[in-house]
Amino acid sequence: MSDTKSLSHGLTRRGFLKATGAAAGTLGLAGAMTATSDWLAPTTAIAEPEERKALICHQFHCLSSCGLECTVRDGRMVLIEPQTFEDGTKGQICLRGISEIQHTYSVDRIQTPLKRVGERGEGKFVQISWDEAIKTVADAIKESKEKYGEDSFFFRKSTEASSSHNYEYLPKLLHADTGGSWGLDRGQANGSDPSGLTGNGLAKNSTKDWQNASTIVFLGYNPFESSITWSDNFTKAKANGAKMILVDIRFSPTAQKCDAWLPVIPGTDLALILGAINAVISNEWYDAEHIRNYTSLPYLVNVETGEILGKPDSKTDSTGKTVEFKMPMIWDEASGSPKYINEDGIEPAIDGSWNIDGVEYTTQWELLKKQMKQYTPAWAAGVTSLDEQQIVDLADVFANNGPSILAFGFGGPDKYANADLLGHANAIFAAITGNTGKKGSGVGWYGGGGGIPSAQGMTAWKMPDEFKTVKNKVAMYDMPYKENNIHCALTFGDCFTLESGSANNMLDWVKTLDFFAICDIYHSSAVAYADIVLPALSKFESAEEVSDVRTGRIASSVYLNQKVIDPLFEAKGDREIERLIAAEFGLEEYIPESNVQLAKHMLQNPTKNMEGMTYEALREKGSMRFKGYENYLTGETAFPNQTYPTNTGRIELYYENLLDLGLAFPEYETPEEAYRENPKASEYPLMFVQGKSRYRIHAYYSASTWFQEYFGPVVNINPQDAEARGIATGDDVRIWNDRGEFVCTALINNSIMPGTLFMAETTYSQYYKEGFLQNVTNAYRQERCYDMKFGPQIPFNDTLVEMKKA
Amino acid sequence: MTRLAQVINLENCIGCQTCVHSCKMQNNVPMELTWNRVLSEGEDVLDGSTGVFPNLTRTYLPIACQMCQNAACQRVCPTGATYKDDKGRVLIDYDKCIGCRMCMAACPYNVRVFNWHEPVRDPDFNYGGKGVPVRPKGVVEKCTLCKERTDEGLDPMCVQNCPTKARIYGDLDDPNSEASKAIREHHAYVLLEEQGTQPSLHYFE
Repeated sequence: MSDTKSLSHGLTRRGFLKATGAAAGTLGLAGAMTATSDWLAPTTAIAEPEERKALICHQFHCLSSCGLECTVRDGRMVLIEPQTFEDGTKGQICLRGISEIQHTYSVDRIQTPLKRVGERGEGKFVQISWDEAIKTVADAIKESKEKYGEDSFFFRKSTEASSSHNYEYLPKLLHADTGGSWGLDRGQANGSDPSGLTGNGLAKNSTKDWQNASTIVFLGYNPFESSITWSDNFTKAKANGAKMILVDIRFSPTAQKCDAWLPVIPGTDLALILGAINAVISNEWYDAEHIRNYTSLPYLVNVETGEILGKPDSKTDSTGKTVEFKMPMIWDEASGSPKYINEDGIEPAIDGSWNIDGVEYTTQWELLKKQMKQYTPAWAAGVTSLDEQQIVDLADVFANNGPSILAFGFGGPDKYANADLLGHANAIFAAITGNTGKKGSGVGWYGGGGGIPSAQGMTAWKMPDEFKTVKNKVAMYDMPYKENNIHCALTFGDCFTLESGSANNMLDWVKTLDFFAICDIYHSSAVAYADIVLPALSKFESAEEVSDVRTGRIASSVYLNQKVIDPLFEAKGDREIERLIAAEFGLEEYIPESNVQLAKHMLQNPTKNMEGMTYEALREKGSMRFKGYENYLTGETAFPNQTYPTNTGRIELYYENLLDLGLAFPEYETPEEAYRENPKASEYPLMFVQGKSRYRIHAYYSASTWFQEYFGPVVNINPQDAEARGIATGDDVRIWNDRGEFVCTALINNSIMPGTLFMAETTYSQYYKEGFLQNVTNAYRQERCYDMKFGPQIPFNDTLVEMKKA
Repeated sequence: MTRLAQVINLENCIGCQTCVHSCKMQNNVPMELTWNRVLSEGEDVLDGSTGVFPNLTRTYLPIACQMCQNAACQRVCPTGATYKDDKGRVLIDYDKCIGCRMCMAACPYNVRVFNWHEPVRDPDFNYGGKGVPVRPKGVVEKCTLCKERTDEGLDPMCVQNCPTKARIYGDLDDPNSEASKAIREHHAYVLLEEQGTQPSLHYFE
């Protein structure tokens, strides 16, 4: 960019002025409630020293778990900075943590317990006392259980409206249904976990291993907005010379820093990876020794039935349970005979076919090659809208410029009905190119700590065995569609509109409940539908000297969160609220009396990597590093011994359990709704995609007035699509399909692919002109995924819409 | 002599706006005003990009007071409210500012903001660093290089909080400072050099 340092750099005076206008922003909305200052004690009433500092760990939800140092002056939180750790290093922070200066005091906080007086959804409430609120909730639970049975009470807790992610008590004490599979972020995990390469979709090495990679392919992953505090691992890797490639439908902040950006048509990532696998095979860029020694691809498969040749076997897993599995056979080149893979001295063949006792067998590798033949880069180019050469280049650099990492996003490509097949293809792509088990290689979602160990010396708060949740039969997101016995619900945070698609269907179902209570910090989208609303504390408030013990894996730390400020308004902490409800059932003794009691319990025997982390030590220091944490700073290798967590110890790439569906290896499948050839596309031609913004964690921070100056519910539209509909930036636009509609603000942005619309995830419905984005999203449940580890995942992005000027 | 300044590595700037909000917090900046912005260069929308899909470029450009050696704002200020201190910082004496906004017109970088009305703060109390002066209606304000922090030897808040360490702070009169070294090693440049303002704030890719 050497020619861009003058005025031609775009730094015209006009450029500055234009940008100033944008920064000033006009997206703010007036608050609906009284000013927070009404609730704050006058400064003169504060008897404590004028200024003090408090240490906490913030935001579990983005998985950053940042250690923060908060300055409190006259009882008000005035500064939020990164904590300084014991070794003198500073932690990380991003704009979301900083914005809590305002967000914590937002006028959109729920301030008192509320009782509904209008219709459900109308949002009319009156203030009530805590006593009345708690009694109403408890009575409703009792009544439901008496009338409909033990399994009629639904409970779910969010990460936001709880001080801790560690504990929920009521589900067990009151035998609640907790709603089963969450349906979020595990689309690819359904397909990649069985290979052994990922755990819950997560890679087994951390983002710190990026610096050891020569190539990193980001698939629908935008860390510069979703995961700002570990973005330094990206910049370090790039400075080390790694080639960075991003597959994303839009020119995201991450895209501009990558060496190549591959904008595929939404939902076609699977075609891209299948095309890349084809290119690896046809150009012989695969790692034959890796395939032979560490994967299932040499296993013998019956050509006619597709079944793996082997014998029943069993082993004891790490929990002491006996696991039954099939011990597979390979063709041993040393002896020229079939052998079991656990036999000594074998030399597995990967190519060939053999007749064994009159039956034809071949290897998985032969079958894979055969099946992938159809997915040529030319074919993939047609499906994805990329050039054929881009696909070949992707395969080339990933296979030949290793070690390589395939880092897929959590929640982008996951939000399509074909995500399980993509996860499976990702595992194959990494395995056949030899990019597993080596430094700087791997596949999965990278974040939240990855292979960094968690706290190992914590003592859990236990309840007697008689207290357990009821067996969940229908996932929460499936409840509007499948018969279930839920009649009463208590949620901490808004699960009903955040954790399901097609909000009209979900909220119609919620309206049929006899009772619904929500405990939340802000007026989230589901609040208007509740009978009772309870105000929750933010992470910064506590009635006691400490609020929570938690671990932050990225910082390899245990934190004992100190009270920053007193509870605002009439808000209470989740543990206290659960205890108050439990008391109505005479069960409060099973819930800690105080945060201090719980913290002391958890830290009573700090062993292993928590040595020395007593309550007293942590109370003083706020946070302490795990013993040996420094070993993880340079990026640990996943599966360093090339042993994988499968029954065989090899990477399992052939899914025998999906033989009936013809999916032992992945086939291409379009998304359920969002594909161009869909007949519905004539009526609803636009693909509606939602994703992360730096101004949100899902809907959280919707109430930040600092962010509202820059950001609100806006839909990003390519200039072509806007022009065709006569839409200009700042216009109100109506977006709709058969499932529903909403109105928001238009933003013309050429970073968006023609034919697609992009919005940041959700935002509380009160900030929209009309409706909200979940009204249009797809709630399809992929049938085959019911038999998979994580169940069907909500295909939010598998959505077609039309748009017009409102 | 001392010449405090920042050097910004644009390659590491990911446009995350953490510096923008760090500044707002530390300096008790009211609603609608901002001392520090991260622009998408040449674009009029946040995170906009240049070109036609899919042939696009975008460069994030953090912009705040350039701490010019030859500051246009200082030269036009009729009351001497804008001055340069002994550490090379261009600062404003709010008591002397009469709100004529000549400085805003003179600044080629458009980094000064004006309190057109009574400042509205949300939350509605004074937040930020201890000792940061509260600016009333009718005065101009801008980046001070976090005077209250840098006077105590701390880094400016935007430097401390940058998640990708894109900002390097130091004394340009000290050839061994990290900032001076970065300028030399990366051939860092200034914005609108032809204006003759001699900014202390440098950039490199």
